[in-house]
Amino acid sequence: MVPITTDDSVIPVLLDGPACGVRDLEEHWDRRPTFAYLPEKSVVTPEWVQDALQALPSRFREDHFCLLTSGSTGNPKLVVGCKKRAERLAEVLHRVQESSVVAETLVSLPLSYCYAFVNQWLWARVAGRRLRMTPGLGRPDVLRESLRDAHDAMLCLVGPQVPVLFRLFGEEQFAGVVRLHFAGGRFPQQHLAGLRRMFPNAHIFNNYGCAEAMPRLTLRLAEDADQASDIGRPLPGVHLKTGESGELLFLSEYRAVAQVDGSGCRVITDEEWIASGDLAHVTGSGRWELLGRSGEVFKRYGEKISLPQILTTVSNHWHGQVHHYRDRDGAGEEGYVLVLCPAPAQETLQMLLQAFRGGHPRTHWPLRIESTEALPLLPNGKVDGLALRDQENKSLHWRQRI
Amino acid sequence: MAAANLTMTNLEKLKNLVIDVFLIDPSEFRLDLRRDQVDTWDSLGVVSLAVGVQETFGYHFTQDEALSVTSVSDVAGILSRHGITFDGA
Repeated sequence: MVPITTDDSVIPVLLDGPACGVRDLEEHWDRRPTFAYLPEKSVVTPEWVQDALQALPSRFREDHFCLLTSGSTGNPKLVVGCKKRAERLAEVLHRVQESSVVAETLVSLPLSYCYAFVNQWLWARVAGRRLRMTPGLGRPDVLRESLRDAHDAMLCLVGPQVPVLFRLFGEEQFAGVVRLHFAGGRFPQQHLAGLRRMFPNAHIFNNYGCAEAMPRLTLRLAEDADQASDIGRPLPGVHLKTGESGELLFLSEYRAVAQVDGSGCRVITDEEWIASGDLAHVTGSGRWELLGRSGEVFKRYGEKISLPQILTTVSNHWHGQVHHYRDRDGAGEEGYVLVLCPAPAQETLQMLLQAFRGGHPRTHWPLRIESTEALPLLPNGKVDGLALRDQENKSLHWRQRI
Repeated sequence: MAAANLTMTNLEKLKNLVIDVFLIDPSEFRLDLRRDQVDTWDSLGVVSLAVGVQETFGYHFTQDEALSVTSVSDVAGILSRHGITFDGA
């Protein structure tokens, strides 16, 4: 961590992890100068951040904070948030998530991850609740003890952590968790029954958002829908619409005020509709449904492929972890590779193939079905798509001969 | 896997290939299975079958041959004419 400095031209950069205690974070939040909070290990260095932040306008050099997006797209950028707006969002979350019954929040994700930062650290601060840091799944023994000791606790997870939790903690139940929140990717709808067993007293929420939203946009109680793609309704203060190409756009009272990367700073105005990065549509009942990431819908031999829809088919027959990466076939046409974890039994594989045959045209079928012993994860718990593509020890189970 | 493939008859290899390319159930396989009886035997399926034949039997269909195939027995017939026999077929 960079110590607090009186030099106004230098924006302090805090690194998540043992070197930066929660007290350091509190101290920087209480002071007016803007600070940046980064994962301990990330694709950028504090020096890169300092250089990038040179472009930050003077009006954002006080009362703001900067977080790094995951960088999984390969284009890391800092999102600049306003402290007051973020605090207002934390208050709204407290209300709409009925968090008055929550006494503490267990942190199992890096706090520098926007979702954990606002949903947990800032919420605990605003609502006057206890923040309990855990080493997360890196130390499952410690995490299990924390879960056993939990008392009216809120836990925030990302979907890929769920199968790991099941594998590590088996049939154990954690009755002290009363709120379970998911964000950062696809809601683990297929694991809902298992989650209910493991957390019998928890209300489970799907929290949709993105870093530019700082970070939340909608709220959905798990019971309210049976599809992972259902993200519920916008939070108070958030407005959603779709753009010409079906992209989800938002206006939010809590959104980031600027984005900074190596090429400069882009200020986000109050009137600007921001793309969340997903395609979506609103249903007749006013609920919103995701149709895929902007990059997860593509054409193959002229047919539109929606990877989230395909993953829905897969999750009906496969209860392990699943991810995908993009590749091209022998004719140079774009496609995708399905990666299962762990390796499927032959019968399961056949069921999956039959589901493809029965529910999708050949153009929708994966180029290959592979498996891996472990999906590579980013520090924030999301699957590292680039590392997955390059992973060398994957097994091949089926392929299209084309 | 490779060793098992060596001990397979050509008919078994063809059966596995057809099942794999068209995702049919093994019980659906017959030598007289026709293209119009298999919903997944589409244009990309034709290409996949041709690629599979080359990989499995080392024979590359000409364009005319690939397009003329309307049943599994047509595949066996073309391959037989090029010295790849199907005992019992």
